[in-house]
Amino acid sequence: MTPRDAAKVILVVFSFLVVQQTVMLDIRIGGVHPDIMVLLPMAAGLVGGPGRGATMGFGSGLVADCLLPTPFGLSAFVGTLIGYAVGLATVAVDRSSWWLPTLAAVVSSLVYVVVYALLGSILGQPQMIHVALANTAILVAVFNAVLAVPAVRLVAWALPKVSTEGMPTSTSGLLR
Amino acid sequence: MAKSRRSRRPRTTLLILLLASITIITLDARGGLRSLTSGIRSVAADSFAPVRSGVNGIIEPVGSFLAGSVHYGAVRQQNQKLQQQIRQLQTAGSKSQQTEQSLQQLSALLHLPYIGNLQTVPAEVTDYESSNFAATIDIGVGRDDVVQLNMPVVSGGGPLGEQLVGQVVQANHHTATVRLITDGASSVGSLYGVPGAFADILGAGSGKPLSADLVPVNTVVPVGEVFVTSGLNGAVFPPSIPIARVTSTKTGVSASEESVTLQPLADLTNLRYVSVVLWDPSKS
Repeated sequence: MTPRDAAKVILVVFSFLVVQQTVMLDIRIGGVHPDIMVLLPMAAGLVGGPGRGATMGFGSGLVADCLLPTPFGLSAFVGTLIGYAVGLATVAVDRSSWWLPTLAAVVSSLVYVVVYALLGSILGQPQMIHVALANTAILVAVFNAVLAVPAVRLVAWALPKVSTEGMPTSTSGLLR
Repeated sequence: MAKSRRSRRPRTTLLILLLASITIITLDARGGLRSLTSGIRSVAADSFAPVRSGVNGIIEPVGSFLAGSVHYGAVRQQNQKLQQQIRQLQTAGSKSQQTEQSLQQLSALLHLPYIGNLQTVPAEVTDYESSNFAATIDIGVGRDDVVQLNMPVVSGGGPLGEQLVGQVVQANHHTATVRLITDGASSVGSLYGVPGAFADILGAGSGKPLSADLVPVNTVVPVGEVFVTSGLNGAVFPPSIPIARVTSTKTGVSASEESVTLQPLADLTNLRYVSVVLWDPSKS
């Protein structure tokens, strides 16, 4: 990765963090706010495969953990899993499909919220499982579904191009 | 051969990153890295605060303008209601001033610490619940303003004076994070009813009512009764800060405790300004 690529990735992660910590915290429906940080590992997994998805999940998760009151490292752990899982699950899928980013955003958001709460409760924060989990998961999934396509485009712009050997290639231009 | 090595690489990356995450979580939880992670969080929060306030300064007027133009009628109604509330509060304020003076005099006579005698630092609420999994607020004062970990936070202006909001759980240089009393990890020692009656007030998550633990079965706890901080020796909170009002009580068939639910007195969903009480439990 060149310094230029690294700068682009940092810019995208920082932009997501700023939007999350300002605009998204002000959007509150039933006491729940959207969480767009999960879009980063999802999009990286979709664009760059499991390895890059996991790396993006770890990096963006650690950055998010710095500003969250939940256990330090938890977002990094769950983000790593999400990025890898999305990359792995979509390896054999035609990534040019228009519905893929939306579907990946919905599924990864639902999984992210549930796994995050479960792990948090295992790690000595039992109250994390007692939040309105269904409401949280649904709201996060709906918002991320809407923002999935622009998020994938941004991450595709930031990540250096990868070898697509063995992977279905994009023809529609969504991941170009 | 080369292809197999390439396909193995993401799995190795995954394993390394998962192990790194688990190590960070474990060391943070067991205290080994606590000072480091706390320092990182402190630096991140302090550096991010100006960015957050700058962006909020740009988007808030736009949001308010749009909301105001859409809900013009509702805003006018709300304005009239607020003016009426101000008049009621002004009347209540003059009454509570007299009560507070009497309480201060009695506390001084009995050598009891009283919140009205303790120093406080006013603070603006800069962010509300940055995570969906914890009921916390961020405030615009920190260690540079003498705010320390575990200090109590109150909101003022109610008919009962200061009301408990929560406790500082992360003190940065210029900002701090406060755990609200509704958070699932919050537990506050309290007094109610007859002298010596003690209960623990537990949070159950944002927006959910509080519950009282350790209330013996068949204890009469009238609806509307106010629970206040106990201030027992070495307590985290000074005594007599109103916490919550009883909304319902229930005695289970084979229960060993009364099931008491309470509503926080402070309006925790609409906090703009709070005060950090400069209270050191070790010196209580």
